[in-house]
Amino acid sequence: MFRKVLIANRGEIAVRVIRTLREMDIASVAVFSDADRTSRHVRMADEAEWVGPSPSTESYLRSDRILDAARKHGAEAIHPGYGFLSENADFAAACEAAGIVFIGPSAESIRRMGSKTAARQMAIAAGAPVVPGTHEVLGGPAEARAFAAQFGYPLLLKAVAGGGGKGMRRVDSGAGLDAAYREAASEAERSFSNPDLYVERLIERPRHIEIQLMGDRHGHMVHFGERECSIQRRHQKVMEECPSPMVAARPGMREAMGEAAIRVARSAGYYNAGTVEFLVDAHGDFYFLEMNTRLQVEHPITELVTGHDLVRLQLEVAAGEELRLRQDDIAWRGSAIECRVYAEDPYNNFFPSPGKITRLTRPLGPGIRIDGCVYDGWTVPIDYDPLLAKLAVWNGTRESAIARMVRALCEYDVAGIHTNITFFRQILEDEEFREGRLHTRFVDEFLARRKPFAPPPDLESIAALVAAFHSTRNTARRESAPAPRSRWLEMGRHEALR
Amino acid sequence: MKVSLAIGGQAREIDPDRSGAQIAIVEPGVYSVLMDGRSYEARIEQSNGLVIVFIDGHRFEVEIRDPRRWSRQTGRQRVEGRLNVVAPMPGKIVRLLVAEGDTVAAGQGLLVVEAMKMQNEMKAPKAGRVVSLRAREGATVAAGEVLAAIE
Repeated sequence: MFRKVLIANRGEIAVRVIRTLREMDIASVAVFSDADRTSRHVRMADEAEWVGPSPSTESYLRSDRILDAARKHGAEAIHPGYGFLSENADFAAACEAAGIVFIGPSAESIRRMGSKTAARQMAIAAGAPVVPGTHEVLGGPAEARAFAAQFGYPLLLKAVAGGGGKGMRRVDSGAGLDAAYREAASEAERSFSNPDLYVERLIERPRHIEIQLMGDRHGHMVHFGERECSIQRRHQKVMEECPSPMVAARPGMREAMGEAAIRVARSAGYYNAGTVEFLVDAHGDFYFLEMNTRLQVEHPITELVTGHDLVRLQLEVAAGEELRLRQDDIAWRGSAIECRVYAEDPYNNFFPSPGKITRLTRPLGPGIRIDGCVYDGWTVPIDYDPLLAKLAVWNGTRESAIARMVRALCEYDVAGIHTNITFFRQILEDEEFREGRLHTRFVDEFLARRKPFAPPPDLESIAALVAAFHSTRNTARRESAPAPRSRWLEMGRHEALR
Repeated sequence: MKVSLAIGGQAREIDPDRSGAQIAIVEPGVYSVLMDGRSYEARIEQSNGLVIVFIDGHRFEVEIRDPRRWSRQTGRQRVEGRLNVVAPMPGKIVRLLVAEGDTVAAGQGLLVVEAMKMQNEMKAPKAGRVVSLRAREGATVAAGEVLAAIE
């Protein structure tokens, strides 16, 4: 096993990896930018190296500096986390060339899965179901029109190099096709420097269900079942659960999806952790979407339900060990839910809300897991993704896990910045959610149909009383000392003076 | 001392010293309230001139109206006359959705700003005409910079 590992990442995932390294008695090396000098991962690591200014293009995306840091500190392997360099085949190859183990699949596997059209062709060859669509890059809107003539509308135009919903357009009829094509291509050009598009039949209100895989370098691979990630906003997952309520209700579905996922991964010569994403329609038919060649953000819920440490398995496999687990060894117990706590304001169009955390109380007690990087007094930097923490809960059933999550959210107090904590509670109390009727447009539809907030009357009276009490105390305090700075308050005053 | 406030669209007058409740400050911004044998914990945030109260996972917006304390109207409430749209944080203008002189509805998207890897639509704070649009596509903006004005 390795003696020292560098984590080429920041935030909660760097902290997550360091925790397992410590449990395995492996030394950890953190890297950090100017903005992260006092971030949690730097404080927790055994060693740390500065890799550049705050913008990620000058620090966390600089593979040369990260490799220099690994050499300087004598790290034998690099864990890339997710995002940043984790799905960069050139970086994986550069690690290999430098004699440093990249904790992930081979550069070749990353490359093959990195192109959506190539991945799709591989899935077809491996016998996995795919959504009907073009197998090649479209030559222009006319080819999309020909596809529609065969498969009908609605259809979806997607960027070949795409991700995160960029360069993607829904087309409901021939009339809107040309404009949608132009928009998608120009957005793809801007976002990925590649305007190439392909087209797919649109599955209405699909679920997003993915399969966690782990394979060793000796050809053995197992799956850890599914995660349902249908609760998304702007094509980004915000809440995930394991098992999927749909898969749990259909005997054989998990096995069928798991086997299809393994077939696709094997055909790419895949090893280490990976996730195969599927779209699932209302009948339970599933279609290969793409493969993520890294550890996923939402991996903790799989760990809670299966009892395995995926980061530990990643390290063992990367060190060349054989995966001792057989498929029959993996069992699913109870139900887990994860909420991605972001620094954003759900009462102001989910606007990002960086700033200093002035007070922090985390939920505790049975069945709670928090993967976070936040501490009281930390300033959330404006330079990165606003993910503060992942709050995950486990309980025996889905119903009791939901109740536990509501309880945990009530205990969670983050002051000084806005977070989406209260938003999760609203979703968790929604009837459709409780019945497990999930799909990827769920949040959009929920935001449109949710009823105005009807608070319990006794709580409203208490809120009014506390606000009144607070305002009298605060005035007294302001007379002696200046109140703490609030960007929002200043903005409000600034506005009023105009 | 009586405090005038508005909560849930209702005006109320409350004297916190004569409410029958026992209020303790647990830490700055955190209050423990005992009333009629029940125990509540309330947490306070201030945002845009409003007092935001969190109790038991519920969120309440309270507007303190006592003229001695909050003599100025805040940006959120003022809807007459010219209203500026201000960048709340540093970012980059990705797209303009309106042009100078356009008539817009309240809540209509004006422009898209990218901050913290997210694209965010800045919306019209009220209905009116876009009398000034200083934002330019691709430009970086500082916190507090005026992007547009609606009249």
